[in-house]
Amino acid sequence: MGLSDVLPGAGPTKTTGGIFGSGSPTFLTSKVDAIINWGRLNSLWPMPFGTACCAIEMMASAASNYDLARFGMERMSFSPRQADVLICAGRVPYKLAPVLRRVWDQMPQPKWCISMGACASSGGVFDVYSMVQGIDTIVPVDVYIPGCPPRPEGLIYGLMMIQEKIRQESLTRHFEHRAEDPALVARPKAGPEELVGLTGPFGNSTQQERLSDGVAVKVESASTDDLLS
Amino acid sequence: MTDDTKSALDAVDEGPLPSEAPGDATAAPGEDASDHASVAAIIAGFGDSVLRHRWAAGRQAVVWVTPDKCHDILAWLKDDDGQRYDMMSDVTAVDYGGGRPIEVVYQMFSTAHKHELRVRCPLPLDALEIESVCDLWKAADWLEREVFDLFGVTFTGHPDLRRILMPDDYAEGHPLRKDFPLRGRFSRAEQTLQALNQNVDRFYLTGDMDHGAPQEVAEAEVGLIEAESSDGEGE
Repeated sequence: MGLSDVLPGAGPTKTTGGIFGSGSPTFLTSKVDAIINWGRLNSLWPMPFGTACCAIEMMASAASNYDLARFGMERMSFSPRQADVLICAGRVPYKLAPVLRRVWDQMPQPKWCISMGACASSGGVFDVYSMVQGIDTIVPVDVYIPGCPPRPEGLIYGLMMIQEKIRQESLTRHFEHRAEDPALVARPKAGPEELVGLTGPFGNSTQQERLSDGVAVKVESASTDDLLS
Repeated sequence: MTDDTKSALDAVDEGPLPSEAPGDATAAPGEDASDHASVAAIIAGFGDSVLRHRWAAGRQAVVWVTPDKCHDILAWLKDDDGQRYDMMSDVTAVDYGGGRPIEVVYQMFSTAHKHELRVRCPLPLDALEIESVCDLWKAADWLEREVFDLFGVTFTGHPDLRRILMPDDYAEGHPLRKDFPLRGRFSRAEQTLQALNQNVDRFYLTGDMDHGAPQEVAEAEVGLIEAESSDGEGE
């Protein structure tokens, strides 16, 4: 679908003195999607949310040896209001969870999220009382990068996957892709069942119970109503 | 899991060896720390309050004292000309599990005499209370808050005793206690819900933009926190 299909009368026009010489067209046609996506994917501004050693690799990615600027990401945006892609690099404790959620909510659409490293993606080795078991319980994640920490090549590959994702988007389906339920702002991203599923003992060598020494405990999971209210 | 591993884990659960238990006067041979000048002075001045003493980790003198005299001994160690322990390097605590007392540990250094000393004070689980040393060393402020946060030891006379690492409204207890489950007491869903329900605004010092004097800023923040907590109850 070219511009001429969208705008009646638009199309290659014979003029004189064009850039390719006399008689050549002075403009080219393309798809609106292609132009917008091309602009977006080549000017992704990352919002660095670095909390641990992954952030060191993220900084290395931006430095001259790996040079994220080659992909249009030289401008690390330390304000979420001017950012396009949230890079969560490192473990996130529960105390930081509302901050991460607020940073995500403050970013304008369209926005994407990268979960960098094992801890951000799943909690990693920190299967403990204080640690979020994967930031996808807090915010929606587009790309997970494995590694502990991932090398800069890994982060760059993840960002290029974001670029590929943007390349596939279409304005006609934009709101479908980027829809966000206002009721879910500042709420957990994961569903109740998903969150409850994180409770069970999996792969932990201690197999420790949550009950101990007869202390009054609250083991029952929050109900669906609580999570979504 | 091999038998060796299992017995090692059991030992952790049972706490220190009998020779390490506080109150045991029979220290192993060669571990008597009374040749340390400060230890000898403490024994001379506060003999009734000294539970035992020993050398640990090479040349680290350790003295166990009773909670009631702990503050007096520390104050004397700081102010006496022969001691001058003017630097409180660390205040921490150890829970040995199995219902044994939680020991509060004071690690001190004398910049005048270049002496190190560690004072330990066992607190029974039903009386986790000890006098704060904030009046002696300002450095003890946050360290005591940390011990309060993670072990539940109350420091009487502390100017601002509240949680420092865990969220203010953390409801699962004191995480470094031996009886605290590794993953906490609540389900992940409940933990996530409580985490996201934290009031993020109190992470920021909002008063420092318009107010001049630090005292005013501090007062403004106190007022802010009180106002927010009452709001939270209303929701």
